[in-house]
Amino acid sequence: MVEAAGGPRIAALNEAAYAEGLAVHDLLADARAKVTTLQVRPADPAADDAALRRLALWATRYTPTVSPWGEQNGADGFFLDVAGASHLFGGEETLLADLINRLDHFGLPARLAIADTAGAAWALARFHPDDVAILPSGQEAEALAPLPVAALRVSPDTSATLRRLGFKRIGSLIDKPRAPFAARFESELLTRLDQALGHAAEPLALIAPPPVYHSLRYLMEPIFSQDAIVAVATRLMKDLVHALVRHGVGARALRLALYRVDGEVTIIDVSLTMPTRDPAHVTRLFDLKLERSTEAVDFGFGFEALGLAATMVEPMEPTQTDLAPAADDHNAEDCAALVDRLQQRLGPRSVRKLAPVASHLPERAEMAVSGLAPVWPVPQATRPLFLLSHAEPADVLALVPEGPPQRFRWRGVMHDVARAQGPERIASEWWRSPQPTRDYYLVEDGGGRRFWLYREGLYERETNAPRWFVQGLFA
Amino acid sequence: MAHQPSHHAEIVYELRRLLAQQGVAAEARPLPFGLPAIDGHLPQGGLAGGALHEVVPEARGDIPAAFGFVAATLSRVRPGAPLFLVTSPCGLATFGRPYGHGLNSLGLDPARVIVVAAPNATQALWAMEEALRSAVPAAVAGVIGKLDFRASQRLHIAAGETGRLLLLLRPPGMASVAVTRWRVAAERAARDRFGLIARWRWQLKLERCRNGRPGQWIVEFDHATHHFSLAAALADSTLSRSTVAHARAHAG
Repeated sequence: MVEAAGGPRIAALNEAAYAEGLAVHDLLADARAKVTTLQVRPADPAADDAALRRLALWATRYTPTVSPWGEQNGADGFFLDVAGASHLFGGEETLLADLINRLDHFGLPARLAIADTAGAAWALARFHPDDVAILPSGQEAEALAPLPVAALRVSPDTSATLRRLGFKRIGSLIDKPRAPFAARFESELLTRLDQALGHAAEPLALIAPPPVYHSLRYLMEPIFSQDAIVAVATRLMKDLVHALVRHGVGARALRLALYRVDGEVTIIDVSLTMPTRDPAHVTRLFDLKLERSTEAVDFGFGFEALGLAATMVEPMEPTQTDLAPAADDHNAEDCAALVDRLQQRLGPRSVRKLAPVASHLPERAEMAVSGLAPVWPVPQATRPLFLLSHAEPADVLALVPEGPPQRFRWRGVMHDVARAQGPERIASEWWRSPQPTRDYYLVEDGGGRRFWLYREGLYERETNAPRWFVQGLFA
Repeated sequence: MAHQPSHHAEIVYELRRLLAQQGVAAEARPLPFGLPAIDGHLPQGGLAGGALHEVVPEARGDIPAAFGFVAATLSRVRPGAPLFLVTSPCGLATFGRPYGHGLNSLGLDPARVIVVAAPNATQALWAMEEALRSAVPAAVAGVIGKLDFRASQRLHIAAGETGRLLLLLRPPGMASVAVTRWRVAAERAARDRFGLIARWRWQLKLERCRNGRPGQWIVEFDHATHHFSLAAALADSTLSRSTVAHARAHAG
């Protein structure tokens, strides 16, 4: 039931209600008068949409190009591009039989049609007398001609106007002069007609971008264990490798889809530091990922199909196998593989290199990077081995306010300064919010422990009571 | 074997050749300090490759000094292959994070170092084992909070399989299978004539050394040349004793 002009109307019906002679779009008040025992629930388009998307995701087990229907298509089904996929099932008939059988298993009665154009398939699925229809190539016009104009996926207003004008069947529109229609109706009508007949292309909004490299396996028996999943994933990757090698690319990101018997789909994504084609490496990553998310993956009644897609690829130089191998290249590849494994288990930001940043402030002078090796300059000034996460205040005793420290207390311990090296003056970066100037000292206590202290603020110019901080520790 | 090696040198040569065929010898080369006084105490004349070596700080405040010794040692590992530094949260305690500019100051090129920040001790151990077994890094250094005996065994074996050097910086007082244990404490640095720090200095105590002899030194490290040296001012008996012992070992 949905709220509409003139009172609530019926949005969807079950079979029993159809049997009573009710129809979608009827006024709820009329329907109640006809059927006194009618039970009504408010429509929940968001939940419907989510359910449709879930089902569309499940349908990627047949082909990766799945497009759930939007509002203008009725939002109650989806397109599958089965060109190139049907042979895996032994033909279009068997594919449709398998699909309707499985949908029936979920308790979903369905109407299916295969045609050369999305528009024709939609029309047949809606209006063909049989639940399953397959239209041979080139017969769109003949097949569509007897269907009502509503089968063109035009808005209810348009189809109502057409009916009023006497155009009841699609056949009466085909081969008519186009200009009067173009003048009278929105471009929608002619576009839909052309799309259904295959004169115009129809872009589909796919549930997931179609991967270029995709392989799929159906299993004789559902599998329940991580080991089994990993074993199948290895075989899938081996399938992909041929295509990857042929095109001179390697995978940078991979997506493993696990299709559960009851229609749920689990997606596992991994990304790689360097493009790879190594099934063993890929398998290892999925293994680690599964290990990390074992609770998250619900095996339920088992998985019946697995799909692996390379969602991102990059050019990859062919490796020389028989000529003398460049040791460095091999090492770089192995290193990337190791980093991938570590990141897969420890988290993406856990494995890094340190890179210098052009900043005067020590705490801003470096960052953690992944990827390319940073280049470090020859060390200029002596810097501490450890940098505290925050500079910590210290109580300092100095003979003169602008002189080096004599004693300092830090973290509750008093240190007598044996030698102090400094000051090294580091001014704030003027283009950032102004901060007091810092005077750094490398300080050694009696025991030989070395600290990095700074005094914040120039005495009598920026402040009269400079504060001291410990920022780092030397080896 | 067709002929009987009759000479000591020949046997050694034959063994070396066989080991090289195993693909281990090249990687498992020991890492000498370049100081006869110290290398003489170690059975292979340096830190044995493919083995676990431990570095413990004398006190908590000596962790930077101990880490400095680890970094200095790493900087002497053959250039080329990356070095893995695995840290766990409790390992560095409250000393913040290793600072790239500081590693650079110490002569260890930060571009060679891949820092692995493990969220806990277990993951840190796993990461070290994974890195060792992959044979990618030339050496692995770990800064960890605790280590049980079993874990130390696993790591030692993993290091042995690929012949990689493994240095573990950990708190004192735990049993392990490490082949050497170095206790490090801070020491006042060597100064130049302007009173500026010329070379880092640490107190080094070789507490435990399988098939070797313990010893105690004060070493200096020159970051520009990556050279260890003994503190010149040091005229204590340990030094003279070990020098004599070393001379004797070489004479015999």
